[in-house]
Amino acid sequence: MRILKSIILTLTLMATTALFAQEPITSVHGTVSDEMGPLMGATVCEIDGNGRIIESVITDLNGNFTMKVKNTKDRIRFSFVGLKTQTLPINKTTYKIMMASATMIKEVTIKSKRRVTGNGLPIPQREVSSATQTFSMKSVEGMSFTTVDEALQGQIAGLDIIGNSGDLGSGSTMRLRGASSLSTLTNANPLIVVDGNVREVNLSNFDLASANNEKFAELLNINPEDIADIRVLKDAAATAIYGSQGGNGVIELTTKRGTRGAPKLTYSLKLTGTYQPKGYDMLSGDDYTMLLKESYFNPQQNDVTSDINELNYDPTFSEYEQYNNNTDWRDAVTQWGLRQNHYVTISGGGEKASFRIGGGFDHETGTIIKQKLQRFSTRVALDYNVSERIRVSTNFALTYTKNDKNWQFNTNDWTSYGTEGLLSLALRKMPNMGIYEQDPLTGEDTSAYYTMLQNGSSAFDGDQKKYPNPVAVANLATVKQTTYDMSPELIIQYQLLGMDEDHWQLNWRGSVYMSIFNEYNNRFYPQELRTVSWNSGVNTAYDGSSKSVSFNTKQTLTLIPAFNNKDHSAMLLGRFELTSGSSTGQSEDKSGAPSGITATQGGGQITGLSSWYNQWRSMYYTVSAHYAYKGRYIADFTLRADGTTKFGPSNRWGYFPSASAKWIISDEPWMEKLHPTLSMLAIRPSWGRVGSQPNQDYLYTSKYGSADRYIDMSAMKPQNIRLANLKWQINTSYNLGVDLGFFDDRLNIVVEAYQSTITDMLMQNYRIPSNTGFSTVPYRNSGKMRNTGWEFHISTNRLIEKGKFVLDLNANFGNNRNEILEMDEYILSNLNSTFGYNNGETLRRVQIHNPLGAIYGFRYKGVYQYNYSTFNRMTDDERKAFLEAGKTAPVAMNQDGSLVVDGSGNPVRMVYNYTNDASGRNYRFNGGDAIYEDVNYDGQINALDIVYLGSSLPKLTGGFGLTINYGDWRLMTQFNYRFGNKIINMARLRAEAMTSNDNQSQAVNYRWRKEGDETTIPRAMYGSSSNYNTLVSDRFVEDGSYLRMGYVQLSYTLRKQYLQWIGLNRVSFYFSANNPFVLTKYTGVDPDISAGGYDPAVDWSQTPRSRSYTLGITVDF
Amino acid sequence: MKKKIYKIKRIGLVGFMGLMGLMGTGCSDFLEIEPLNEIILEKFWTEKADVEGIIAGCYSGLQSEAVVKRMMIWGEFRSENIGVGQNIDRDADLEKVLKENINAKNGYTKWDAFYSIINRCNTVLKYAPEVAASDPAYTQSELSAHIAEVTALRSLCYFYLIRTFRDVPYTTVAFTDDDMKMDIPASPFNAVLDSLINSLESVKAMAVRRYPTTDPLYQTGRITQDAIYAMLCEMYLWKKDYQNCIRYADMVIESKKEIAETNRASASDRRSGSASSTQTEERFNGYPLLSGSSTTNYFGEAYETLFTDDDYAKLYNQEIIFQLIFDDNPRGNSMIANGAVNTFYGNATSRVGLVAPSDYVLEDIAKSSGRNIFADRNKKVDARMYENCDADRKAINKFVTQMVTINATQSTNPTVSYGSAYTEGQNSSNWVIYRLTDIMLMKAEALVQTLHEGADISDVEYNKPIIDQAFTLVNAVNKRSVCETQLVDTLLRSDYGTKNQIEELVYQERQRELMFEGKRWFDLVRICQRTGSTQALVSAAMSKVTTGGALISNKLQKMDAIYWPYDYEELKVNLNLVQNPAFDSGENGSYEKNY
Repeated sequence: MRILKSIILTLTLMATTALFAQEPITSVHGTVSDEMGPLMGATVCEIDGNGRIIESVITDLNGNFTMKVKNTKDRIRFSFVGLKTQTLPINKTTYKIMMASATMIKEVTIKSKRRVTGNGLPIPQREVSSATQTFSMKSVEGMSFTTVDEALQGQIAGLDIIGNSGDLGSGSTMRLRGASSLSTLTNANPLIVVDGNVREVNLSNFDLASANNEKFAELLNINPEDIADIRVLKDAAATAIYGSQGGNGVIELTTKRGTRGAPKLTYSLKLTGTYQPKGYDMLSGDDYTMLLKESYFNPQQNDVTSDINELNYDPTFSEYEQYNNNTDWRDAVTQWGLRQNHYVTISGGGEKASFRIGGGFDHETGTIIKQKLQRFSTRVALDYNVSERIRVSTNFALTYTKNDKNWQFNTNDWTSYGTEGLLSLALRKMPNMGIYEQDPLTGEDTSAYYTMLQNGSSAFDGDQKKYPNPVAVANLATVKQTTYDMSPELIIQYQLLGMDEDHWQLNWRGSVYMSIFNEYNNRFYPQELRTVSWNSGVNTAYDGSSKSVSFNTKQTLTLIPAFNNKDHSAMLLGRFELTSGSSTGQSEDKSGAPSGITATQGGGQITGLSSWYNQWRSMYYTVSAHYAYKGRYIADFTLRADGTTKFGPSNRWGYFPSASAKWIISDEPWMEKLHPTLSMLAIRPSWGRVGSQPNQDYLYTSKYGSADRYIDMSAMKPQNIRLANLKWQINTSYNLGVDLGFFDDRLNIVVEAYQSTITDMLMQNYRIPSNTGFSTVPYRNSGKMRNTGWEFHISTNRLIEKGKFVLDLNANFGNNRNEILEMDEYILSNLNSTFGYNNGETLRRVQIHNPLGAIYGFRYKGVYQYNYSTFNRMTDDERKAFLEAGKTAPVAMNQDGSLVVDGSGNPVRMVYNYTNDASGRNYRFNGGDAIYEDVNYDGQINALDIVYLGSSLPKLTGGFGLTINYGDWRLMTQFNYRFGNKIINMARLRAEAMTSNDNQSQAVNYRWRKEGDETTIPRAMYGSSSNYNTLVSDRFVEDGSYLRMGYVQLSYTLRKQYLQWIGLNRVSFYFSANNPFVLTKYTGVDPDISAGGYDPAVDWSQTPRSRSYTLGITVDF
Repeated sequence: MKKKIYKIKRIGLVGFMGLMGLMGTGCSDFLEIEPLNEIILEKFWTEKADVEGIIAGCYSGLQSEAVVKRMMIWGEFRSENIGVGQNIDRDADLEKVLKENINAKNGYTKWDAFYSIINRCNTVLKYAPEVAASDPAYTQSELSAHIAEVTALRSLCYFYLIRTFRDVPYTTVAFTDDDMKMDIPASPFNAVLDSLINSLESVKAMAVRRYPTTDPLYQTGRITQDAIYAMLCEMYLWKKDYQNCIRYADMVIESKKEIAETNRASASDRRSGSASSTQTEERFNGYPLLSGSSTTNYFGEAYETLFTDDDYAKLYNQEIIFQLIFDDNPRGNSMIANGAVNTFYGNATSRVGLVAPSDYVLEDIAKSSGRNIFADRNKKVDARMYENCDADRKAINKFVTQMVTINATQSTNPTVSYGSAYTEGQNSSNWVIYRLTDIMLMKAEALVQTLHEGADISDVEYNKPIIDQAFTLVNAVNKRSVCETQLVDTLLRSDYGTKNQIEELVYQERQRELMFEGKRWFDLVRICQRTGSTQALVSAAMSKVTTGGALISNKLQKMDAIYWPYDYEELKVNLNLVQNPAFDSGENGSYEKNY
């Protein structure tokens, strides 16, 4: 090291002595070499005061160069990739340059502060005073993720990510520190920001009916391979820079950019096999027919009702062959899915420009047959240094996604498009029916799909007859979604004053960003799949398209003063931002086109046309300041003003301040003796306010729209009541964070506690007295809600290091508690449902000072073993013995456990919802019916016996992971968990109801069949109101806690020395398993079920998250 | 070089100034966006066409399915005329109404569609004078006519509401902003009725008397002076002010006679009861009714003219006073079809609707003699029996088929053939709100109420001319429908000597004449109000009940029970409303012990 220094010193001295030897210099020459000898291709250039290049040459084979010189006041610069650049004054004609390795020089540099690369001030990492957590995508390199959120699951404390479904391209529900809004239409997901740009796509009008399952998967259009870092902003001080947009938290994604160096080509390939976890087993055809026969017999106790051709296995029945099968419909519609991810990047750059071009192609087949997702994405990042002061950057990203989905059913209609998935249909479909029509003589499958005939038994009218054949639907119906997502951006950065920390800096950054999003939806349902009468048309087709264009410009000025007293440091940022955008869409429904034509253009009659237009504009001013004293007393302040088109002139502007501070206690001199054991101790209090706005425009104006004509008069009508005083919904939050670092920051712990209070909540569709002519207003400010919680995050940095062995771990957990503090009485009473006494009905109860998502239901106590009449015939002694033996019959009991008898000495029979007038159900329980606890001992089961059964909100969520490096090998694992939440397993309820012709789970084989049977599964009874055995009760409320292995990955990197002979730099191999197992007591397929809005978490058997195994290879050329 | 930098600086400066300019001036304008598919208030209410547009919006609101369905259900479905039809399970709320099991959660307790029209009317009343002040093309007389028109429409809506709910929130203010007082308490029946009468009395003179003949559908499809008189006639009848009722009935009858004169002068259509036919004159006792028979011994002519065929607009002008006009081609010009009739009464696809004639009515028809409803004195069959019900199909026929032909040429009972029913979703039969026979029978009812109760000679003497008058009115209505070319009176004056007898006749005639037109239950409510007892209504309602009769008759004993409960959602948001005590809230509120 010392030698190197002396060499440089000598060279400099030589240069200065030469200054006196020469007079006007017009050209220079010399040689450039390094330790190994002369350098060919080294750049020599003359640069002016602004750092602009005036003249430039390249050294020849022997390292020699000659260059004309324009101005001796300029300087001369020698550079070569990988070597330290030297800049010298032009004061001699001959230069003999010895270049040193850049990496060697780097070790000489004293200290470089890592700075935050976000959208706000470039604050040194150590001085960040708000609650943020960063995640480097490098740590999950080689993993096969379709979207970034999969990689984040379980990694960020306080971020609860639930996959919506395993269907290809479906998004996920993300909640950062609990829900901040109750309106169902306001998006409660955190804001996604890519390189400082908020994605402004507003297609809210589009296809609302199926919005839940096909929620626009925002992250699908960002290839995880393009992402370098993810930063999650949690508290109001961190999100303040985004004002009202960041109310639900912010996820900032930073994309990769080109770096200086020789062009580098990287190719990676990942091959993934996916399959679906199975869940409970369904009945075989034989078990099914047996069940149905019982279920038709039981209500009437009559063989006639159960004499159904399709269940009789009667060879003389013309369709006999079609109904003597054991079809596993689930097996028929599921498969191993295969995913290929190809990704190529070229990156590199010199001192003037750097670039990165990435392109990826993904092809994926789903775990349900015929699902296919194709995605082509490309991202180009170019940086060009016009001079040392001016830098121009341009980004361009394009994603093309083509998603071939399955048809989704409308359960009321079964032929129109809805929300019910193919798997759900497969689980309902009768298993004794064959997939293909079978030859009536030989019983062999033909090539035609079989659908129940219209003249089949009337018992199946309501369900099986309407169900299309799932395999046929997958193959014949088409649902195509195509999206194009483009976002070009141009950025200019200009350093107006100083260029380093010793001078005052004033930097301007201007950017123009456009986001263009086009979506096309095409659907076709062919006549072959019509199962009911053709009134509503055959060969129905739907074409819809929508486009959204938004334009954003940001002008940022950053002032960084240079104080003489180095104890002070400060930064100041001012920004103006303007956004405007619009979206339009249209759709067309047609039916009756000739068979073979699948698009709406092909004739037929139009059954529906619609079009819409949306427009939005906003304007933001931001002022942000950062101040640090001695690097350990830190204060930040941000104020943002948001202007929106959503409010009337008086409430149009919202002002959202935030402040935060940090005290790095460990940097105090008196703490020094604890170093390095306690390397970091800091506390960070913060406070901030943000606002939310409604998602509709024109609320503050009275609108008049057209009505239906009358005779020959064109008609108009008032459309709304204008909202004169609609205000911003305000979220005020406090956060207290503690940063701890031990053993020279090898072990880091972050603890955060927060409380956020939401006031003036924007309640949607507020009911008003309809004597006003309207029954709702779209929004009203009403109510107050609070989220309180804490988070804990541990990460390590080479925690254990022994030779080649390095071990790291990370763990986090968090908890959020939600409480409604105030709410309008009207709203509360409207939200709370009245129990309708139906099977499978979930109750919603929203109460002040209680969290959302509470589950209410009956307590299930098993099945009545004996009939009422059997018990009634007994003598008193027999009855006593009967009850003492713990046997059960549907009779009413007193509080003290004694039998209730009526005036004539007969035991009082248990009834369901008994009333004197005709409005009750007045169902009399019998043997084989469910026993519900008669909480108030009134001899009947009714709404008063409903009790609290648990909360759908988890007590704890989080994850942990372990990384082990051994030489060239690396093993990574990540787990995530939710703990202490309850789920209503509606899928199981339906699969054990035995009230319809739908297929049931194998559990019903243990049903009550005859008196005396001791079981927990009630008897089979056909008819939705023939019995009340499947009321929501604790029988179906299950613990949703789970521990999921998110992924495990083993990777191996071949060293460079083994590869040089084929000219490769690096080859890495990966093997990983995603979601290989879930440890849970939950009996459903997947416990990843989120509670939506006010309602409890209900499992409707969506397509579960798939399990997958990936082989990957990455090659650097 | 220096120059170049200077230039860049200058461009930068201009750009910067431009940007600042955008910030400064843009702030308020930039954030102001307007909808493209709607007009905002500030740009509306500028010309006459705007006023007319909203008025048309009042009518199209009135003929919306939600409103017409309620006119039917509130006005008739609880009465003995209506029974269960097919696929009633598609409308659980309706099923409950027919079972007389109504609670606050029943969807048909919702009144928002009516108040929506009321609000449109109030909006016109608020802004139309401003338009008149600014638009010179909008004359004072046009403004007055418009004010009369919307006042009448508003009164009609309220009239439906009070007859259904008794006490309702009454407002004449247009609701535009969310900070207005909205939870208005209900005003008592009589107070509302009085203010309806007052407002109609004050505007009646300004209303259009005759619309131009170029718009023949306007004469019955929009509010005319006659329509206001008809409304006043009925309102006075409810108010028990029988003299005024009779006075307004006469004014309507006179006006219709005038129209008939004009028609007779210009047209020689046999349907109008042409001047030459003294037979027809005699048949209708001088009232301008349309003839029920076109050819000898073929009947059903009046049905087609009145209810289904707009081609005879000029003709039915002489009998229909106000009706909602529907179009059979809803997509064609974006005017709506009669969806309520389509669903409730039937269509070509499902010939029996959700409701059907009750068993009581069908049994009556099935009788060979001694009918209660369609009295068949002297063996002369009542054509309305066939027009109202398709007894073979057990379906309602009125408004469903496009024509009815009753063949009475044989000596046996007549045979009937029905024209095609309207295609599903394309029913274009007009929904009649007031027609002449309705007014005539109201006049008869009012006359009857002026009779003396006693049986003294003086009372009998006093009563006789009045009964004569009432009988003439009833008889005119009745005679049109007697399937007999050569006129033989089926009703005999001598049978109706006492007040009770003639009163009974008037009610019966109303029932058969206006069957399925949404009148019967209101008639029963009016009778109960008059007598202060629900007896008439209980016995009528009970005649169709097969099961749970005791429960229902018990329920209807209470005077409150003849009205409807307020919707439970309304009670939640309007705490000033007090629920009708006769009805269950539908909440999980009251519980009983099983033992």
